[in-house]
Amino acid sequence: MKRGLVQLDPAEIPEREWHDRVGSLQRDLVTSGVDVALIYGDVSRSDDIAYLTNLCVYWNEGILAVPAAGAPVFLTKLSARVHPWMRLVSTVAEIRSGRGFGELAGKFLGEAGAGTVGLIDADLWPASVAGEIRDALPGWQVRPLDGLVRARRQSPSESELTLLRRGAALLDQVAARAAADGLTPAERVSLAERELRGHGFLDVLASVTRTADGVATIQITGQYRYLWLHVSRVADRRRPAWPGELRAAIGAAAAAATPGTTAADLEDTARPVLASLPPGASVSVRWVHLADMATNGEYASYPADLPLAPGSAVVISVEVRFADGRYATAAETVLVGEHGPAWLTGGAR
Amino acid sequence: MTIVDAGAADGAAVAADSAENSLRLGRVRAAMDAAGLDALLAFAPLWRRENVRYFTDAPVAGTASFTLLTAAVSDGAAPGGVSAFSTRRSDLDAIARRGWTTDVHLISAHSPTALTTRLAEARPGRLGVAHYELLPQVLMNQISRALPKAEIVSATRLMDDVRLVKSEWEIGRMRAVADAVAAGWQAFVDALEPGLPEYAIVAAVEAAIKGLGAEDNFMLIASGGDEVRGMTAPTPRLLERGDMVRTELTPQLNGYWLQICRSATIGKASDAQRRSFDLFNEAVEAGLAAVRPGVTADEVARAQNDVFRARGFGEYCTSQYTRVRGHGHGLHVDETPIIEGNETELPENAVFIIHPNTYTPIAGYHVLGDPVRVTPNGAEILISTERKLFEGAI
Repeated sequence: MKRGLVQLDPAEIPEREWHDRVGSLQRDLVTSGVDVALIYGDVSRSDDIAYLTNLCVYWNEGILAVPAAGAPVFLTKLSARVHPWMRLVSTVAEIRSGRGFGELAGKFLGEAGAGTVGLIDADLWPASVAGEIRDALPGWQVRPLDGLVRARRQSPSESELTLLRRGAALLDQVAARAAADGLTPAERVSLAERELRGHGFLDVLASVTRTADGVATIQITGQYRYLWLHVSRVADRRRPAWPGELRAAIGAAAAAATPGTTAADLEDTARPVLASLPPGASVSVRWVHLADMATNGEYASYPADLPLAPGSAVVISVEVRFADGRYATAAETVLVGEHGPAWLTGGAR
Repeated sequence: MTIVDAGAADGAAVAADSAENSLRLGRVRAAMDAAGLDALLAFAPLWRRENVRYFTDAPVAGTASFTLLTAAVSDGAAPGGVSAFSTRRSDLDAIARRGWTTDVHLISAHSPTALTTRLAEARPGRLGVAHYELLPQVLMNQISRALPKAEIVSATRLMDDVRLVKSEWEIGRMRAVADAVAAGWQAFVDALEPGLPEYAIVAAVEAAIKGLGAEDNFMLIASGGDEVRGMTAPTPRLLERGDMVRTELTPQLNGYWLQICRSATIGKASDAQRRSFDLFNEAVEAGLAAVRPGVTADEVARAQNDVFRARGFGEYCTSQYTRVRGHGHGLHVDETPIIEGNETELPENAVFIIHPNTYTPIAGYHVLGDPVRVTPNGAEILISTERKLFEGAI
């Protein structure tokens, strides 16, 4: 569950921006002939909902209903007792609780007669929840929609960039300390949890892996406000040559992250740097939009030739997998600028 | 948190693991037989991994992972009949190294070829899917296409029932979480001081339990006076002298969750806070006294609520003020609810927390509870932390 700080601060994201985000989606709905968009989220992936409202689905599931005109309404199976907190930390005024989504959607949309409902990112909805919605809305057309909100989240706004830079600076400092020599895996993770949550991170997912020759990698995915960041750092600098090469490889790959570059291009840049890998080791380089980091990009479809788009914020990773199945990885969060990459993490290297 | 670092197991541990794995497969196969299932597919989204863990005993991290168990072990099937699939490559190594199945496959959510091929080969007439209710459309479509003639049904309840009664092996795992529970609560109390924001308490707790190897934690919190109506994720609110700070704190270690519910005051407790504690402690004691093999969740809840009703606080046991009087524990944090109307029987070796957490006007929302195991002699409390109203920042 989410158990870090959730807060709505107009000094961070102005009220106008929240309003514009919803308005932009509503214009798309009008163009598409959709009366109400429904956006599903659960505790592990609710970034579309957070982007539009700052709501945190801290446990269980929820659906945000965005009418083509009017204010969004949040439908949840969580108790009405948490409504005051949800209103405090979000832009949503109306929250409805119930036992099931069919019942909630039926009551909410039933008030509007009939029309067209669009399920945003319909492929990723639980099939049974989508079925409940359809069953509860006789007379309505229920239509799948693409990732309309996700597409908007791929290029951070200026206010989001300010938050990303602030969170990245914290993550960078903490990752450097957690990757220091001489710490146990549990000590590395403990340090990351204390420092990042102590500085207001909403979520921290930290893990440590070790190769057969004892080289540790600490991977930290953190959520600052509703925005994701990631670093992976190889610790144990006294070890053989390949960890140093891995650090150089992520540096080379990130430096090559310009608009139009593909994952294959990044790999071509990084691979020659890794000259001292033991026999049987393989190298892979990938990038993932921050917009997809809740699922590590595993629910997104990234064609091999997908180019980096200008203005997008991505995690670039170089992974070395050894013959015994173990692996080490280096990763940084980078902003793909028109004229070249800007490091969000790892800039001090 | 995942710390992937294989250690050598001794012979006795290997034998116990093997026996546990066999026990589980036997239980599931018996349940499948009773339900008329030819195969069982356990789906694990990011937030509900308990069933895949049950089959693999491995800390999977993928966005979507599965295990497939066929009712009959056919030639060429995976050892034990279990195959595992994940969208994350690192899971394959983690699962295979644990050794409960070595038939592991990388899949993509948009093209889970290894999974659909295996399903098509198994040709189940009736497939049960655990967490069917959470399976994304993109995966459901491909599973359905792989099995055009199969009946696909939910097996979520089947697996909930299988996991309800814990083995001795599992009880051992759950006892081991008690140290993390104690450390987490101690860190909570030690952190308390006026001026501290709620989220900093969570940071201290997380650091303490992750330092002991905890993988995850379920935690809610609330601070303030008698106006507090429930718990949420932490806020920036700064603690004040006289506050009561409430939490349910639930470390997960080696797959198993164990919860503690406690409240602490900032400074000396007031008379009202003490009276509130006494009421809630009496309710916990009543819940504990009700425990026996075969007791229903309804009976355990009713025993707790009767204490409130007898003291004139019955209205605060309703959904307007509270949710449940406890819930099951195990590989999922929130198993069968302890609530009036739930006639689920809790047999010997069922594990659940008794927590009558609710609001009353005495001192606001109060949180108190202990996790227990059902034994032939009643409830065995699985944690060692004293049940009292703690006082911090003295």
